Amino acid sequence: MAIALKGVMQAPVTPLNDDFSLDIPGFERMVDFHIRHGAPAIAWPHHKAESLNMTVEERKRGAEAAVATAGGRVPVSIFVSALAITDTIELARHAEKVGADAVLVITPYYWAPSPDEIYDYVVRIGTLVDLPLLTYNSPGYLEGIEFTGELVARLIQRLPNFIGMKDASFNSEKFLDISRIALELRPSFAMITGVEFLLPSIPLGGVGSFSAAGAISPNLCNELYDACVAEDWPRARAAQYKITRLWMLFREQYPSSLKGAMVMMGRPAGPTRSPLPTATRERQDYIRSQLDALGILASEPHGW
Amino acid sequence: MDLQLGLVHTPLTPFAGDIAVDFERYAGILAFHLANGAQALALPMHAGESVSLSDEERRKLLEFALERVAGRVPIIAHVTQSGTDLARALAIHAEQAGAAAVICTTPYYWKPQPEMLLRHFTDIGAAVKIPYFLYNAPGEMGGTRVTTELVLALIYRLENFAGLVDISLDWQFLIDVVASARSLRPNFQLLSGLEFLISAGAIGANGAFAPHATIAPRLITRLYDLCRAERYRDARPVQEEVARLYRTVRNRGAAGMKAAARAMRRDCGDPRPPILPLGEGGQRALADEILQIRSVADDIKGW
Repeated sequence: MAIALKGVMQAPVTPLNDDFSLDIPGFERMVDFHIRHGAPAIAWPHHKAESLNMTVEERKRGAEAAVATAGGRVPVSIFVSALAITDTIELARHAEKVGADAVLVITPYYWAPSPDEIYDYVVRIGTLVDLPLLTYNSPGYLEGIEFTGELVARLIQRLPNFIGMKDASFNSEKFLDISRIALELRPSFAMITGVEFLLPSIPLGGVGSFSAAGAISPNLCNELYDACVAEDWPRARAAQYKITRLWMLFREQYPSSLKGAMVMMGRPAGPTRSPLPTATRERQDYIRSQLDALGILASEPHGW
Repeated sequence: MDLQLGLVHTPLTPFAGDIAVDFERYAGILAFHLANGAQALALPMHAGESVSLSDEERRKLLEFALERVAGRVPIIAHVTQSGTDLARALAIHAEQAGAAAVICTTPYYWKPQPEMLLRHFTDIGAAVKIPYFLYNAPGEMGGTRVTTELVLALIYRLENFAGLVDISLDWQFLIDVVASARSLRPNFQLLSGLEFLISAGAIGANGAFAPHATIAPRLITRLYDLCRAERYRDARPVQEEVARLYRTVRNRGAAGMKAAARAMRRDCGDPRPPILPLGEGGQRALADEILQIRSVADDIKGW
């Protein structure tokens, strides 16, 4: 059950057919693309994979496909949070049964839970499975609901399988605080940032990130990580500035623009489920001009 | 216009028993900062209770500081006001008095739309020729923030718009704004407004405002120097101590800074109402807590 997470881990989008149904062969191709282009781990279905717009049944089918396609080449973590905790429990049990390497949970949606309620929720999932458990901190999206350093400490003390956290606070004070407390209690704890904010997080004890841009620019992702690990800060800054411009491009109505950009990279992944819009032809053309200006069209793989 | 600020200290404003500004004590505070690593001074910032001073007091304080410092380091005048004309008048005074630069954050109380904010900042910056800095503090300013679009619009409009001081600590914003701004104005400065200097340094900040230099100037200088040298691995334990000091003082609210200064045997008086001092028990508890931080305990005591 020991898995070491590091580098820019890829969180694939969910390819859909034109009728918005799940495109499983397309998804397998997507996962395989990431692994062939250096992904050290696969994580699915994050929000960019439209997890909240899928049925539990669809999420299970995707989890099976992700694990089977990875085929032991890299670890696979499955995001199991759903609106209802009963669904989360079912997804966590299923992930373990089909051979996933870890499960990931976010603070509960909608309810504005207290720290004690978040603690209880995470402990329920963490004690339900024997798999390594990751948590996901996203105070910006969830109205300030967050894992504080103090809460992380309580969870580490309670759960031997709590191995890491995706922190998407994107904030120096918060990241430093959680990193300091977690690494003191559990030196192997994996502090993972969101998107590709490696430059500000690796010097604070971060080990990598879940990726936003990996389906567009896997080479740039790997370049940024390598520069950070080599402590080549000028090179890392250049890569981080570039990849952040991509993020600014994708952040609006994420992941619609990302799927739009994939069309331009020769890797179409279909439409995006409502209420998210599907990127229009016009938007795709705008994205293409931006990718061209950034040199992405020339420096990154085209097609699958 | 190529004024490099570096490590900027933000002195406290001392008040006497009758809540008047205690200029004699202020002279001592300024001398302390000059002797302990300040490469520039910004005053009176929020740490210096600018919000509790009349405009007349702000002007006198600045003139006094300029006279005492006598050019040894640059002085940046803080000119934020609710009304654009009030802030403009402070900026014009600062330039005439000899300040090296002015700094301004979003207006108090109002919730300006982006175009109102652009107009406000443009009018203030255009009133002077000295370098003009913005201060981004959404957490302190009711959520009103400086955006990348605003920064770019001001770069187009104002030749003297020199840089941004940020306490949002928000990586998404900082990377976006510094990369965008420097593509238009390569010498655009980014300074961290709080002493979280590792990520800011990696992102490309070239200076810092250091409110906690009032408490532990040697500790802050050590962190600053390591980060300027991009020695982030060595800087991390130092950064963790600074973060602990920051947290401890912040948890006491606005009165924490003066109580912490007193704990270091540099009495700067009590805060001005409506801020109430911590009281004897609170003062003792804060002193115990910050002196448990080894680098703070080892830092300079007294003047």
